[in-house]
Amino acid sequence: MDLNRRQFMIGSGALTLPALLAGCGFAPRPAATSTTGSQTLTFTTWGTDAELASFSRAIALFEEANQGVTVELNSVPFGQIFTNIDAQLQAGNPPDIFRVPYYTFGSYAGRDQLLNLSPYLESGFSDQFTDAAWAAVQGGQQPFGVPHHTDTSAILYNREALDAAGIGAVPTLLEEAWTWEELSDVAARLRAAQPTDTYPMAYNWQGNGVTRWLSLLFQADGRFLAENLTDAAIDSTAGAAAVDFSSSFFTQNFVPPNNNVKSATFASDTWYSQTTAMVWSGAFAIPDATNTLDFDWGVTFAPRNERGGGDFGGNALVATAGTANPELAAAFLDFMTGEEQMRDFCETASLLPTRADLTESGIEFAVRPELAPIFLGQASTVRAEDSSQVASPNMSSIITVLQDNLEAAFAGSSTTAETLASIAEGIAVATGGEA
Amino acid sequence: MILRATEPPLATTTPAPVTSRRRGRRRAEVGRESRAGWLFLGPNILLLGIFVIVPLLWAIVISFQSTNGFGAGDFVGSANYERLAGDPLFWRSAANTLLFTAIVTPLSMAGGLGAAVLFNSVLPARGVFRSILIVPMAISGVATALIGVLIFNENSGVLNDLLGFVGLPNVNWQSGGASAFVSVILVTLWWRVGFNMLIYLAGLQGIGPELYEAAELDGAGAWGRFRHVTVPLLGPSTFFLLILNVIYSFQVFDIVFVMTGGGPQNATSVLVTYAYNTGFVTRDQGYAAAIGVVLLLVTFVFTAVRWSTSRSRDHVE
Repeated sequence: MDLNRRQFMIGSGALTLPALLAGCGFAPRPAATSTTGSQTLTFTTWGTDAELASFSRAIALFEEANQGVTVELNSVPFGQIFTNIDAQLQAGNPPDIFRVPYYTFGSYAGRDQLLNLSPYLESGFSDQFTDAAWAAVQGGQQPFGVPHHTDTSAILYNREALDAAGIGAVPTLLEEAWTWEELSDVAARLRAAQPTDTYPMAYNWQGNGVTRWLSLLFQADGRFLAENLTDAAIDSTAGAAAVDFSSSFFTQNFVPPNNNVKSATFASDTWYSQTTAMVWSGAFAIPDATNTLDFDWGVTFAPRNERGGGDFGGNALVATAGTANPELAAAFLDFMTGEEQMRDFCETASLLPTRADLTESGIEFAVRPELAPIFLGQASTVRAEDSSQVASPNMSSIITVLQDNLEAAFAGSSTTAETLASIAEGIAVATGGEA
Repeated sequence: MILRATEPPLATTTPAPVTSRRRGRRRAEVGRESRAGWLFLGPNILLLGIFVIVPLLWAIVISFQSTNGFGAGDFVGSANYERLAGDPLFWRSAANTLLFTAIVTPLSMAGGLGAAVLFNSVLPARGVFRSILIVPMAISGVATALIGVLIFNENSGVLNDLLGFVGLPNVNWQSGGASAFVSVILVTLWWRVGFNMLIYLAGLQGIGPELYEAAELDGAGAWGRFRHVTVPLLGPSTFFLLILNVIYSFQVFDIVFVMTGGGPQNATSVLVTYAYNTGFVTRDQGYAAAIGVVLLLVTFVFTAVRWSTSRSRDHVE
């Protein structure tokens, strides 16, 4: 058949348009699993190479144990995953399973987007997790996910910098963690020993990491939400202590001026470049720091005040409310939090387990295994009453309130009293509770 | 240049008896041309509709709702727009956006014009210089902003090192409000001047050399030739760039989002970063849509005013 140029171009356009639209997500997906009875789950996550490799190993074992079942793993960059998930939820074609940080979990659980796992989990299922972990996946007293792993911040230090300031031993036991006063003393000695363009420490509260500031609030034995998880409780003596202590980092030049909560420069970058001697960081940074840094470094516990405390970082695995295979989805979540799968994931990716048995027996990181007990010890300071507040359905709005007000406090634009009153008011607006 | 793509062939304009068969063939040709035109236009109209018109109309609908993005929103009338009026962060972001536009638009156009005039002259290796200025266009805004973070990092950035090297004090590019605003402007200019130069360069090459010769014979100096020949004849390019630069500036997002996140203390918050944070971080999507609609209206009004007052927009040589 002879084709002239016009016919060729029209034909090409007709052929390529569906492909173009499919690439944009407008082509229909394969039929839903419920109507065909097929056993396929879709699982959307982000992850490092080590995390994705562990997910793949676990999926292969799950498929092997459940003949005829297929789990499709969809890896998406972290920066895009939640706009994608939101769009899919709005369009009615979300994945069956996805991974979500605990501080974002409540946004979905509180808006009826997640599967209530109660009917699908055996009684006593919750007993295998630490109280803090199980509290972090609750919405209205019901489990809407499983706590897949956690992470919490300890202090990474540059050995040479501490030596230069005459700071010898650092705490190696949780009970001996620096008090706030001791940490201030260490920072002051570093400040005196360092040139003006380097700093004693940097705090990892940038971006959504502002939830890590809450560690200081918990160390002061404070809360930001009352026990009803609706009213604000931050305008308190503990709240004032936490704001005063963190603000002193800036007034005493303990941290670089650009270590504020909205800075584009992450705390770890300043420590990597040896601008700071210490940095608050999660265990996830261990592999990268080991491969990258050419100076001697170690880890010690975050400080304590009225008590020890830490942020409940990490991620849950959740099933979407509209999944066609709720039993299978719940079985997959159960499997992924099994002892063997969680150990593999946490050891290879340098993260912390949420299972009580693994927390008690300990795990060995593939890289720098001697550091695992410090992070596990730090994680043990997180209480269920702390992590349950972070699972609030309004946490996304509360994060913005914390960012705006702490930034102003650290820049010296608002007093401690003004900061606490403004945060309390913002929380009340977000939750509909009382300030 | 005058394009006459649809001018009929000479034979059909020659006065001659026109037979009905010839008229029929002509109608068939016109029909085929028309169909082909619509077929070529069709995919563009379809994509424009799907990706621009429908989302735009949908955003207007959402702006009258209270919604977190899940499920049907609640109709709240003009509540979101009334809330805008009393929201200090909205006004701060609007003022920052206008200031950013007022600074970046003339500077990027002036820089582009200067570079175009320079690289249109007899200059050794001008092709290399043109390429160097155009290269930033090929880099995404996010990558450009990441480079900006490296340069303006106030602890270990290149710029503060250079300032220190020549004996100047360090600048708090990230923790100072005014300095952070300046850093965003400088990175935007670096990114945008090349594009302005490209458009002006194309415009300059359409100006005949005889006009300059005539002006020179009339006694015009270099500045006179630039002022009275180059600038007026670049009117269409200037009009195009003005509209485009203003729209780009109103829509600035990636550079601010990556370099400063709108901080410190909202000193660099612009309308799009505020809308993004409101819509996708705090999930107040109705209010975020209202911010977007205001931005659209401002852009429309500016374009309409400029269109109606511009004398040079239709000049085509």
